Amino acid sequence: MRLDLFNTTAFRLSAGYTLLVMLAVSVTLGSAYLLTESLITDEVDLIIATELQSLEEKFARSGLPGVSDEINLRIDSWGRIGAVYMIADANFERIAGNVTHWPFDGMPSERWPEFEIATIEPGRRAVHPVRAAVRTLPGGDLLLVGTDISQGRRFADKFRFATLWGIGLSTLAAALAGFWFSYKLARRVGEVTRTCQRIMDGESGHRLPLAGANDEFDALAASVNRVLDRLEEQAGTLRATFDSTAHDLRAPLQRLRTRMDALLLRSPPLEPAVHESVESALREVDRLQRTLATLLQIALAESGAPLGASASVDLAELTAELVELFEPVAAELGLALACRTQPAAHVQGNRQLLAQLLTNLIENCLKYVPAGGRIEVTVECLADAVHLEVSDNGPGIAASDRARALQPFVRFGSGGQPEGSGLGLSLVAAITRLHRGRLELASNEPGLRVLIDLPNGS
Amino acid sequence: MHVLLIEDDTEAAPFLVKGLRESGYSVDHAADGRDGLFRATEGAFDLIVTDRMLPHIDGLAIIELLRAKGIGTPVLVLSALGGVDDRVRGLKAGGDDYLTKPFAFAELLARIEALLRRRAGAPHTTRLKVEDLEFDLLARRVTRGGREVELTARELKLLEFLMRRAGQVVTRTMLLEGVWDLHFDPQSNLIDVHISRLRQAIDRGTDHPLIHTVRGSGYVLRSDA
Repeated sequence: MRLDLFNTTAFRLSAGYTLLVMLAVSVTLGSAYLLTESLITDEVDLIIATELQSLEEKFARSGLPGVSDEINLRIDSWGRIGAVYMIADANFERIAGNVTHWPFDGMPSERWPEFEIATIEPGRRAVHPVRAAVRTLPGGDLLLVGTDISQGRRFADKFRFATLWGIGLSTLAAALAGFWFSYKLARRVGEVTRTCQRIMDGESGHRLPLAGANDEFDALAASVNRVLDRLEEQAGTLRATFDSTAHDLRAPLQRLRTRMDALLLRSPPLEPAVHESVESALREVDRLQRTLATLLQIALAESGAPLGASASVDLAELTAELVELFEPVAAELGLALACRTQPAAHVQGNRQLLAQLLTNLIENCLKYVPAGGRIEVTVECLADAVHLEVSDNGPGIAASDRARALQPFVRFGSGGQPEGSGLGLSLVAAITRLHRGRLELASNEPGLRVLIDLPNGS
Repeated sequence: MHVLLIEDDTEAAPFLVKGLRESGYSVDHAADGRDGLFRATEGAFDLIVTDRMLPHIDGLAIIELLRAKGIGTPVLVLSALGGVDDRVRGLKAGGDDYLTKPFAFAELLARIEALLRRRAGAPHTTRLKVEDLEFDLLARRVTRGGREVELTARELKLLEFLMRRAGQVVTRTMLLEGVWDLHFDPQSNLIDVHISRLRQAIDRGTDHPLIHTVRGSGYVLRSDA
């Protein structure tokens, strides 16, 4: 199983974190920008208001000539930088000031109207934005006081530029950090996943690597490794138990066989009737041995012991070989055994066990399907599995009995069916499970369909 | 032929020794792994038959030690462990054949014979001939008395297996292993049916059949009964 970086919790978390950083930085820098901008404007407005007030007072004291002189004085001498003054009559004709003509269409409606003044500066033409206020003097003349706000504008522009870059860069930094973080995290979790997969695939000696950082991942890896050690130990104990059980059951059978073989080989030969009895007893020993072997194999497979020797097996080829092997026997029983396979249906598994599985399924059909019947074995490649199907038109298994038919040992001793039934299918189920496959019994209407999906592997 | 039997089962061993002697082999018996390894190293045997689970030194360890010393005597492993991996492990350790207990004495004899003959050397031949039965291995063509015999690919393999061991008893399990690479016993009389088909093709219409049934053992292909 491959880890998709974009589909990890770490990635989703860091994407959320990046978004949060972006929002926080935007709010902070954005409000600082808005605040600064309004502070600059407020300051300009205050100056304009103060000047207006003092000029209005001057008008009250010394009339229009006084205000005009005052304005000229302020323009010529110590006036503040960027100050703009104008006195105009009721028809907006200039009376005094440093603006050549009335900048608005009539009387501006806003409280703080803005306009632009084109000036000739050394070498270039420049346009200066001006913020202003207008008062109507007693007598109908108009007084305009303004301030060149190009410096403030430039500052605001720079501030905005810096704000946008700030938001962009910190988002980028957060995204990079998040990506790196989720990459690191996904890689370490991926290592754990891959190692577990390898162990499940049979490399039971494999352990999770420790980064040596003594962090929570190392702690996790160490815990997992302890669990794996325990499992391997248990598998070893299990294996030893199986080995000694197998040995203890087979050794007496061997002694029995050897003695009977010796009887058959001795000279002078046994009487024909006795010879026949010994031979029939030997056949029973063989049957016992086969049952024992099957039981041991089921038990071993059911115990969850990992699949030992595992390789890529072409199930299509194996099926064709076994069908060919069984075909003459089927023909003798009056059964048609056919096989339909797709080439190169590779599964990861043990060839002997898979052959045993197919053998049991085919032999099951041979045992139950009456003469004239038909058995079909098919192998198909699906997207992520190889599908094996063995179907016949024999008596089948009643729907209510199907689950029971797969369980080991349950059919033991139940009458009415040919001997050994149930055990064969139990072994099939065990081998399927061992290969991490899925087994299903269905009706072939009439007959039995055994459907097996094995995960594919090349 | 000199055979060393390493077997700790005190009840089964005497029967095996007796049976092998009666079949014409001279037999040495070792009852544990240490004695077995000592004898195998010191003596000159044509074949070693060893149990797998032995006191002191395990059967597979004996094989590994022998192979490490450069002793290539063929070894037949007897084992009460019949799992699919056990066989593979036995052969990996350097064993030449693996027989799961309980086995028929006839099976043991047939396998011993096969191992000894194999040791005698399988010449790189392109043509097998038994009496008037001829097998051209390159062209995969078989003739009996000059008359061409039609055989399937699997029947050719089966016949080749028998002809390469002409005169030797070949058991059903040996055929399943050697021709079909199956290391378990199906319940059906599979091999008998296949042999009978082969017999039909080879021996039909001749007055001296070449494929013979050996009661209680298996089959043999030889020129005269």
